[in-house]
Amino acid sequence: MAQEKMLTGCSAAATGAKLAEVEVICSYPIRPYTAIMMELAKMVANGELKAEFVHGEGEHAQVSIVLGASAAGARAYTGSSGVGVTYAMEVYSPMSGGRYPVQMAIADRALDPPGDFGSEHTDAMSTRGQGWLLGWARTPQEVLDNTLIGYRIGEDQKVMLPQMTCQDGYFLSHIADKVNVPELAQAREFLPPFKSPHPLSVACPVSHSPQIRPDQGAPMDAQRAAVYTDVPKIIEKATAEYNKIMGRNYDPFLEKYKMDDAEIAFFIQGAHANTCMKEIDKMRKQGVKVGMIRPRWIIPWPTQYLAEACAGLKALGVIETSTCYGGSMRGGNLAPEVRASLYDLDDRPVVTSFMGGLGGETIWPEEFHSMAKVLTQAAKDKRASQYTYWVGFEGK
Amino acid sequence: MKVDYKFQKLEPAKNFKAINKAEMYVPGHRTCAGCGPALNYRLVAKAAGPDTIFIGPTGCMYVANASYLCTPYAVSLIHAQITNGGAVASGIEAAFKVLAQKGKYTGVFPNIIVMAGDGGTVDIGLQAMSAMLYRNHKVLFICYDNESYANTGIQVSPTSPYGANTTFTPPGKEIPEANVLFPKYVPELVIGGHPALKYVATTTIAHPLDLTNKVRKALSFEGPTFLHMLAPCPKGWKFDEKLSREMAKLAVETGMWSLFEWENGVYKYTNVPKTYKPISEYMKNQGRFSHLKAEHIAKMQAFVDERIAKVKANIAIPIATPR
Repeated sequence: MAQEKMLTGCSAAATGAKLAEVEVICSYPIRPYTAIMMELAKMVANGELKAEFVHGEGEHAQVSIVLGASAAGARAYTGSSGVGVTYAMEVYSPMSGGRYPVQMAIADRALDPPGDFGSEHTDAMSTRGQGWLLGWARTPQEVLDNTLIGYRIGEDQKVMLPQMTCQDGYFLSHIADKVNVPELAQAREFLPPFKSPHPLSVACPVSHSPQIRPDQGAPMDAQRAAVYTDVPKIIEKATAEYNKIMGRNYDPFLEKYKMDDAEIAFFIQGAHANTCMKEIDKMRKQGVKVGMIRPRWIIPWPTQYLAEACAGLKALGVIETSTCYGGSMRGGNLAPEVRASLYDLDDRPVVTSFMGGLGGETIWPEEFHSMAKVLTQAAKDKRASQYTYWVGFEGK
Repeated sequence: MKVDYKFQKLEPAKNFKAINKAEMYVPGHRTCAGCGPALNYRLVAKAAGPDTIFIGPTGCMYVANASYLCTPYAVSLIHAQITNGGAVASGIEAAFKVLAQKGKYTGVFPNIIVMAGDGGTVDIGLQAMSAMLYRNHKVLFICYDNESYANTGIQVSPTSPYGANTTFTPPGKEIPEANVLFPKYVPELVIGGHPALKYVATTTIAHPLDLTNKVRKALSFEGPTFLHMLAPCPKGWKFDEKLSREMAKLAVETGMWSLFEWENGVYKYTNVPKTYKPISEYMKNQGRFSHLKAEHIAKMQAFVDERIAKVKANIAIPIATPR
C-alpha cells in the first residue's frame, strides 16, 4: 500500500529517486538542494538503494560524471542550486546533444552577487535553450511525482533527453507537507528500467559525439527540435498513466485554478502558487473573477494549451520569479513567452508582468490583491500602463 | 559487497614482435604527417586491445581523429569536453560497476582509458583528472604531451618548455626568450597528492615496447593509474616530420625527459644514458627554439642538469625554476 508521510521537498526528491532506482548518483554540496544528496547518501550507505554514490568535485563534474554514467547505460541522477546550476553550464548542451536522459534535481536559489540563499528561478531558467526538459513543482508531492514522470518522459526512446525537475529552495525544499509515497511495485509499473539504445560497449563498439562538419550541424539541431514536436504527446500519455497508477489528477501541462469564469488571472510557476490560490479564494468571496494558471513544464513550452486556457480572459498577470534584465518585457523570462503564445488569439487578453519572488523574498498575501487591482484596471483600460511592475516597490 | 567485476589480465609483451598485431586505431584520421600523438594513440590502443573504451577530451586527438562523424577507433570512444575527461571516465566506471553489481552487465570489465592532451590533463582538465585519481576509480589516465595547445594553432600550455616560441609567446625585443616560464612537472604533480593512485610511469613514442608494457601494467591495477607520454609535434615544435621519433629519443638522451615507473612510493628509472648529450643537441633541430641566445640555452641546460642529478639519485625530479 502507498504510504502517507510528512516530507520536505528535498526528502520527496530523494524518495522519488529511490523509487526510480537510480544507479549512479553524483553529489556536490550547495544549499538548499544538498539535503536531497544527504538523504540519498544515507540510503546507499545502509543498503536501501543499490547505487554508486560518486562525490563530484564541483557541479561541472557532477553533470560530466552522470553524462559518462548515462553513456554507459546507467540511470543517473544529480542536482544543484543557484550558481551551482550555472557553473555546470558547459556540459548541458553535450548532455542533450548526446541524448543522455539523466535527471537533475534543482532546488532554486538566487544567483550571486554574493550570498543570497533564498529561492529565485533565474538559476534553472538560464539553462533554457540547452535542450533539457524543464519543469516546476508546487508541492513536495509533485516533486516526488515529477521525479518519476521526468525519467519516464526523458527515457522514452523517442525523446532521450535530460530533465531538470525544479522546486523552490526553502519554500518547498525545506518545508514538510503530506506526501503519498507510492509502492516500489507501482513505480516499476510506471517506469520501466532504463535502456540506452547505443551504450558504450566492448561487445559492440560505438563512438559517442564525434566531431561534425558545419553542414552536419543543422540537421542534428533539426532532429532535436523535431523531438520537441513529439514531446507534448509523450508528456500527455505519461501523465495520464501516472494519474491512473498512482491515483493523481495532474493536468500534463497547466494547473488551472478557478479559470472557468475568470476575467483576470495570474500566470505563476512554482511554490508561490500556493499563496496565490489561497488569496484567489478570498478575492472570489469579494466577487473578483480571478483565476490562476501554473505551468508544470517550461520546456517544452505549452503554447497551444496556454492559448486555449486564456481564451475569454481580459487580463493576465505574469508573475516572473526570475530575471532577464533588459528583455522585451523589461524584467523577466516568462511574459515574453506568454505574450508570444497568445499572439494568434483573435481576442487576446492584456498581458503584463510582475517582478516578485526574487532573491528569496516571499510574495506576501496582500500583494496578490494589489496585483489583482492592477489587472482589473488593465482589463478595463484594455491596456496595462507598464510592461512590468516591481511588487513591493510601489510608490518608491 | 564482494562483486566479481571480471577485470582483465593483460600479460606483458616480452619483445617487440610479441606486441599485439591487431590495430585498434586504424587509418582514416586526418592528423598531420609525422604526428607524435597519433602514433602514441596507435600504440596505446594496440597495447590495451579490443575490450577498451576511450574517453577523448577535446584536443588534437579528438578534432583530427573524430572528424565528420567518422572515427579511426575499432573500440568504443566517447568525446569529453577538454575540461572533464576525468569526470566522464569516473561516471563510466561507476556505471559499469553498478550494472555489474545488479547483474545487468555480465561481460568483461572494460579498460577505461582517458587520452588527454597536456591542456586536458594539467591545465583546464586538472580538476577533473585529480578528482578521478582521488576517488579510486579503475581508470587509466594518459597524458599525451605535445607541449602546447596544438589543435588551436600552437599556443603555450603549462608543459611548454622554457624558451618555446608559441603563438601566445612569440619572441620579441622585450621578451627575447619567448616563453619565460618553466613547465609544470606532470608526474610529480600527479604523484604528490593522490593516496589512491596505484601506478605512474613515463614513456615516449620512441620506446614502443616500454610504452606497451607500461600501458598493460597500468591496466592491471584495480584502481587509478597515470601515464605521461612524450608525443613530439612536428608542426608545433617546427621540425622535419620524419624526425618525430628521433625527437623523443633525443629528449631522453639529453635528460629533457626521463623514463621511470613509480609504484608504492619508489621511483625506478630506466633507459638512463651513461653520458647525457648536451641540451643543444635536442634544441637545434626545433624551430621553436631557434631564436634563443647562448644564455637562454645555458639556463635550459642548468634546468636539465638539476633533473639529471635527481634521476641518478633515484628520487623525484624537482620542479623548481632554476635561478
